[in-house]
Amino acid sequence: MINFESVHLKRNDKEIFSGFDFFVQKNEKILIQGKSGIGKTTLFKILLGFETIDKGRVTFNKKDIVKEHIKEIRHQIFYLSQDIDLKNKKVKSLLEEILEYNLLKNQDKTYFSDLLKFLDLNDIILNQSIKELSGGERQRIGLLIGFLLDRPVWLLDEPTSALDDTMKNKIMDCIIGQEKTIIIISHDDVWKKNNTIKIERW
Amino acid sequence: MGAQDLDLLSLASLLVFLIPVFYINRRLKLTINKTMTFSIIRMFIQLSFVGIYLEFLFKFNSPVLNIVYLLIMISIACQSILRSSNLKVLKFFIPVFFSLLLPFAIILLFFNAVVVRIDNLFEAKYMIPIGGMLLGNCLRSIIIGLNNFYSGIKKDEKVYLYSLSLFCSRIQALKPYFKESITASITPTIASMATIGLVSLPGMMTGQILGGSIPIVAIKYQIAIMLSIFYAEYFSTILSVLFSLKVGFNELDVLNQDIFISKK
Repeated sequence: MINFESVHLKRNDKEIFSGFDFFVQKNEKILIQGKSGIGKTTLFKILLGFETIDKGRVTFNKKDIVKEHIKEIRHQIFYLSQDIDLKNKKVKSLLEEILEYNLLKNQDKTYFSDLLKFLDLNDIILNQSIKELSGGERQRIGLLIGFLLDRPVWLLDEPTSALDDTMKNKIMDCIIGQEKTIIIISHDDVWKKNNTIKIERW
Repeated sequence: MGAQDLDLLSLASLLVFLIPVFYINRRLKLTINKTMTFSIIRMFIQLSFVGIYLEFLFKFNSPVLNIVYLLIMISIACQSILRSSNLKVLKFFIPVFFSLLLPFAIILLFFNAVVVRIDNLFEAKYMIPIGGMLLGNCLRSIIIGLNNFYSGIKKDEKVYLYSLSLFCSRIQALKPYFKESITASITPTIASMATIGLVSLPGMMTGQILGGSIPIVAIKYQIAIMLSIFYAEYFSTILSVLFSLKVGFNELDVLNQDIFISKK
């Protein structure tokens, strides 16, 4: 479903990819490990259309990442960036905005409160602004958005770095248990415990 | 009747007050003497030229000539807008030119036809000074608008991209920056409408009264021009952002990095 064929990319005179191949099947779970600075995050950015490759071909569901498809492609991907770059506003209005723009306004309220409970978040957090949250809280709000949007492909960049061990295990099981295509960049060993995950070492 | 003519020498006599200014600047070690002198000289030269070609324009009073003059003014305004916003002139000239031209032309013609009700819509006496006032103000508001918009997104690029991934459509992700830039650009005019007359008498009114109009006429014109300025600013700022999106972003909605003039 995701294909990278002999991709070349150079940024600021630095070769990031040269003849890079990478293939992901539908519903596959992949963990990417490797030193920082070798283009792991760039891989996600290319899929989202934030970076354009110099040479080669990248397809998502057999579709090239071009103007005509980009909206549709973005709509299928849930991306959790490393710093969870959410706009600084009240959590509640941020969530409302995201749901509204994704036409999910009438989502089940009990699902929402179950998710909050599962992620160990309480109602108070909804009235705080993004800037006031701790790293772990932000990460969990990011994941909450992912569960709410329920898009078929997840790209997670260090999704558990700020969580405690119990939380990590709980969330990992839940994420991996989904029938979705999931690519994870993480230094965290917790992901290796699960044997459905294919590990890619770069 | 008109205002009493000023003798050139008596005009120059105003420069007397520069002596204490220079002195104080020197004592305070303010390093603005050079820029100050330069600006004053420029003002003299530019306004003298304006005097010469305004006489010329008023004498011929030809619609074509007046329109050409205003088009040239718009082009100069474009250049100056883009330089102040740190955006590349070559890339943005056309979108900014049209975003100035459209509201400007509509409002100016409306002003002449419906508000003042002059027969010759392109009458130099009205078109040139009022056009100049509209342009001067639009210039300021577009600079604030464009600058705010593009530097806002540049500074906030990660957040912008992240909202793009969550929202899907570019318009939704751009909306907050758009809102912010419009507000920033028209706030000064809104504020000045609220305080006008309380502290300062606007320049146009002063000029008209000195030129022999009775105050009530001057005031009516002032109100008309303030509203026109506000509308022209509002629409030209919105259009300048909208028209420039095609240049500012690539096909995949990512901000083009090569649109900024690189600071050396």
